Amino acid sequence: MLRGAEIFLACLRAEGVELVFGYPGGAIMPLYDALEGSGIRHVLTRHEQGAVFAAEGHARATGQVGVAIATSGPGATNLVTGIADAKMDSVPLVCITGQVRSALIGTDAFQETDVFGLTLSLTKWSRLVRSIEEIPEVIAEGFHWAREGRPGPVVIDIPTDFLKAKMEFSGPAKFTPKRRPQDVNGKGAFAHVISLLGTAARPVALVGAGAKLSGAIGELRQLLDALNVPAFATVHGLGAVPPTAPYYLGMVGMHGTRAANMALHETDLLLVFGARLDDRVTGDPTRFAPKARIVHFEVDPAQLDRVRSCEVPIVGDLAQTVPAFHKRISNAKLPDWTNWRGVACGPDRAELDPRGLAQPTIRFLDELFGRLPENSVILADVGQHQMWAAQRYRSALPRGFITSGGLGAMGFALPAAIGVQLSRPDATVLCVSGDGGFQMNIQELATVRRLNLPIKMVIVDNKYLGMVRQWQQLFYHRNYAETDLSDNPDFVEIAKAYRISASRLCEDAMSEYPVTKETGEAFERFLGSAEPELLVFDCAPEANVYPMVPAGAALSEMLFEEE
Amino acid sequence: MKVFHIYYRNTQGTLMRILTAVSRRGIEITYLHAAASENGHRLDLLLEVNPKQIGQLCRDWHAIVDVSDVRVGVPTVEMLDGTGEMSGPQPPVAAGRRSAGAAMA
Repeated sequence: MLRGAEIFLACLRAEGVELVFGYPGGAIMPLYDALEGSGIRHVLTRHEQGAVFAAEGHARATGQVGVAIATSGPGATNLVTGIADAKMDSVPLVCITGQVRSALIGTDAFQETDVFGLTLSLTKWSRLVRSIEEIPEVIAEGFHWAREGRPGPVVIDIPTDFLKAKMEFSGPAKFTPKRRPQDVNGKGAFAHVISLLGTAARPVALVGAGAKLSGAIGELRQLLDALNVPAFATVHGLGAVPPTAPYYLGMVGMHGTRAANMALHETDLLLVFGARLDDRVTGDPTRFAPKARIVHFEVDPAQLDRVRSCEVPIVGDLAQTVPAFHKRISNAKLPDWTNWRGVACGPDRAELDPRGLAQPTIRFLDELFGRLPENSVILADVGQHQMWAAQRYRSALPRGFITSGGLGAMGFALPAAIGVQLSRPDATVLCVSGDGGFQMNIQELATVRRLNLPIKMVIVDNKYLGMVRQWQQLFYHRNYAETDLSDNPDFVEIAKAYRISASRLCEDAMSEYPVTKETGEAFERFLGSAEPELLVFDCAPEANVYPMVPAGAALSEMLFEEE
Repeated sequence: MKVFHIYYRNTQGTLMRILTAVSRRGIEITYLHAAASENGHRLDLLLEVNPKQIGQLCRDWHAIVDVSDVRVGVPTVEMLDGTGEMSGPQPPVAAGRRSAGAAMA
């Protein structure tokens, strides 16, 4: 006879779980009591939000399901932001929440919340476990839905008495879905796409997260090489197309490159690979790609026609649809798009804001990224630094750039970096945050120190909630309401209080470019350490991210300087 | 006005997920009826929606794990006659303080 907690952990192991992140409490205590000897490593964070972001970091870096554990009530509610983040960015995540004794459910018992109801609209699937006997099948089904199709978050809420109860355990369950994946591709879909390519004068390709999540990167790159059309990426698609590809135009969207945005605005045929065309990419949806017919390769039918109708949906896993399509076009005679490539990729469009590299923070990030080894992973929090980091990202590693894109959750990067470093112990993990976001999960410095994780943490400290300040400057007549962070604490001293080595670099150090020997040595000391390190970059408060497509504007209406 | 017939397996939370897809868009539910049907359950919804919302709702519902089919139909007279109030059995009106006191006497 085993306790429910032991059965629970055995079923997690059967799903391949070796690493979980969590924070104990009353209702979930029986599960913690059973951890020793379970074969599962538990990482204690200092806030449940840290746990769920760390689980996401692990999932985003590896493609495996991330697991976060919290107790009932406030423990569970502290997971909600991470669950929403996983939903928006298609991250496979299983959150296990303790719940009060089953007899007390619905009585507003101590630390009771209806986490099932709370997370209904944020989860792919969820269950309140109703008996110890249900545990194996619930775990099997939960992990299936977290991974299947478009990955996403799942919540398993387990009353504490079922973790303490005992039963004979015959082994983990297997789950077979009743619902079959829909095959919505009509016959002739590929032929239709080839026909559209045959008459297109200005085709382009947009690559999103789905290309990476499907594991179809190799096949997609071969297809793009064969098509040789201008291509660009969403923020989550960065790294899917090698930046050295002559047809690659960089990131597209609100802070995308001029080349990418103009090509997307002028195209007459848009091939979308695993992107959901969210508003940060499209700008004003009524004026998005106004001349284009759209072909949409996508695993989740719910993402089709959401913003613009597509002429040809190709529904399915890109790992299957992309190579199948490539095979079909291998003998097709396609037009010569040399002139169009010359225009789209030409020198007068090739770069974002030409003044960009004169901006000290951009130079700083450029210098830092350029010194990273090839297998590095860069995490960005949310804000101006995130966009600058995305603009300067130059790696061809598909899972090399990790950020909270769809939800834009500040405080994401530091705990996520913990999950990434644990999953990729040989990688250099660089975590770039703003001074606002870093403080939202600053307590996780304790987790970093306890585990001796050699994460390289950077704070781009402009003493403002920078991106909000930028919008206030551009659209609210410089009314900087509640964005002043000029009374920030001394981050170097805070790091030292956590026994983490820290240093400071001022933006004057970037006034000479290439950087001086002294500045170069500061970078090397920071990156070369085998310990966790914090580098605070003190920079000017009122630098802006350009280009910028204002909210409600078309992609062609980029701002390049303050107006 | 459009009628939607959503076929689903009545697992934990599925009905609520279907309704949440409507409520998150601020759409009023004019008529609602859920009952067991041939291979599971069927929910009939009468909603005031624009063409874009029809597509969005259908796609959202199809994405719900235990929804098996979604069909768009035509409102019946009964549905339209019942607009402005929920159809089907209603819970009893809450007992007043006096009758509660009398019950406990």
